[in-house]
Amino acid sequence: MVNYITDLSLIDYTAYALQFLLIFIAVAIVVHKNNGTIIILIASFSLVTASLYVINNAPDVAIAEVAIGSAIIPLIYVISISRQREFIVLDKAMDDFIISDNQFTGIGYILLKRFSDFYHLELNITNDPLLCRLGEGKDQILCEQTNVDLIVSKDPASGEYILKGKASNILMNKLEQMTKDYDNIRVIKFKDRDFGE
Amino acid sequence: MNPILTFLVVLIGFYGLSTSDNVIKSVFSVTIIESGVILLFLNLGNFEGGSVPILSEGVTQIVDPLPQALMITTIVIGSTVTALSLMLCIKVFHHYGTVEWKEVLSREDVKS
Amino acid sequence: MSRQIVLILLLGALFAVFTMSIIELEGLYNAFGKEYFLEYGQSDTGSNNLVTAILLDYRLFDSLFEAGILLIAVSGVIWISKHDIEEKNARFMIDKFKTPDLFITFSRLVYPLMLAFGFYVIINGHLSPGGGFQGGTIVATAILILYYIDADKETNIGLIVTVEKIVYLLIIVLASVSIVTRGTFFTNFFPLDATQDTKAIYLVLLNVLIGFKVALGLWTIFTAFLKEGR
Repeated sequence: MVNYITDLSLIDYTAYALQFLLIFIAVAIVVHKNNGTIIILIASFSLVTASLYVINNAPDVAIAEVAIGSAIIPLIYVISISRQREFIVLDKAMDDFIISDNQFTGIGYILLKRFSDFYHLELNITNDPLLCRLGEGKDQILCEQTNVDLIVSKDPASGEYILKGKASNILMNKLEQMTKDYDNIRVIKFKDRDFGE
Repeated sequence: MNPILTFLVVLIGFYGLSTSDNVIKSVFSVTIIESGVILLFLNLGNFEGGSVPILSEGVTQIVDPLPQALMITTIVIGSTVTALSLMLCIKVFHHYGTVEWKEVLSREDVKS
Repeated sequence: MSRQIVLILLLGALFAVFTMSIIELEGLYNAFGKEYFLEYGQSDTGSNNLVTAILLDYRLFDSLFEAGILLIAVSGVIWISKHDIEEKNARFMIDKFKTPDLFITFSRLVYPLMLAFGFYVIINGHLSPGGGFQGGTIVATAILILYYIDADKETNIGLIVTVEKIVYLLIIVLASVSIVTRGTFFTNFFPLDATQDTKAIYLVLLNVLIGFKVALGLWTIFTAFLKEGR
């Protein structure tokens, strides 16, 4: 066994060291919980495998692996993960439910902040004038086509606030539970239609 | 010794696929399995004293070029499958509001 | 917790089986294919790079279907993300953070170098490591940098997909010309006794077309991801 270790050349040492590094990075990818850290580990995994391909006398495969695994795949992962941190609320009620004096205070804001902190999401409140001007019947289309999660509007007749969202969204259950005590807030859930309609 | 260490990477990928708690992590694990399998094929074709399969002066023994051609195809196809499955993950997030497997499955049981 | 232990035991059994079977692998390997490629590869196809010779002459059928899979994946991604192909805008998604000026200046310097390197890798596919697939992904990476430099760039997805389909049909036509001159499908259409430089014309043409197709396909996938949910 000792003769086996001392007979190795430099290339063999490099190959063994890189393979142990590869096992270490693979274990790190499986164990981590934060998705953002794993993207950097994926890019380094791809780089180490490309070096191993060159050591095994295959330069064509190495060029293909570097170009795909270090540039295109991490970019696609970053785009799909960054969309999953936000909770987007469209504010159609223009009074002090959420905003007063250009600052985020108000009952509605505290409620939404508590709700989004529970799920570790970032709250993003917008009152885009273009989207607000669409009529009442178009709210379901708005929820499905764009990535708006919740629409806040005020019913002019009864004076209560209506929160609308999709029925298949799991977060709406928690929101319903949280607003049971407040009797001037009502939650409406849209039933989802068939895919592709 | 080299193929054994490479097979260990494939097994770690399998373990990650079975015990993942959100959808994105499953896609990561499939990428690890695929890279490990490609490395295994190239390892089995390599031997000492062989050279890169490009003909030039003074080349007498080459490494088998056929597995390398097949592996190029495998890498390109693997990346397109990853892109397609990530698009499906974005759609799952829009529809259900979460990416955890357990919550989505429990929700489906309640509905049906 | 017990499920994880059972899982680790099963994977350990698999590992033991693999270790026992890898020792007897040397008896199974034969070298007939390797000897044939070493002796006749250069005179049949006209390329020094044997991997390109396999991908573009001996096994062209597989490469055609690989390009076809790219086309199917692109159409699948566009259909799932459910936006109209007739739209002409693809705005960049990071518009609440401004990209740093240093990055924009550096990208402007690097972008022509990346394009030139990508074309070099595509054209020299038969003399050095490289080829259509590898060079196509490098060109696609160079085009993605444009989204950082110019944040309001408008991309017409319908035009790109149409050009990609036309290029794929051209690849199939170029591969089938050989039924007229040599009697079989999907091989080099120059006769076997031409010089090596003449036979390399076919390889360069096919590499350029495949590189175009791969670059356009990856560009479409990336644009569909950016437009999703805006």
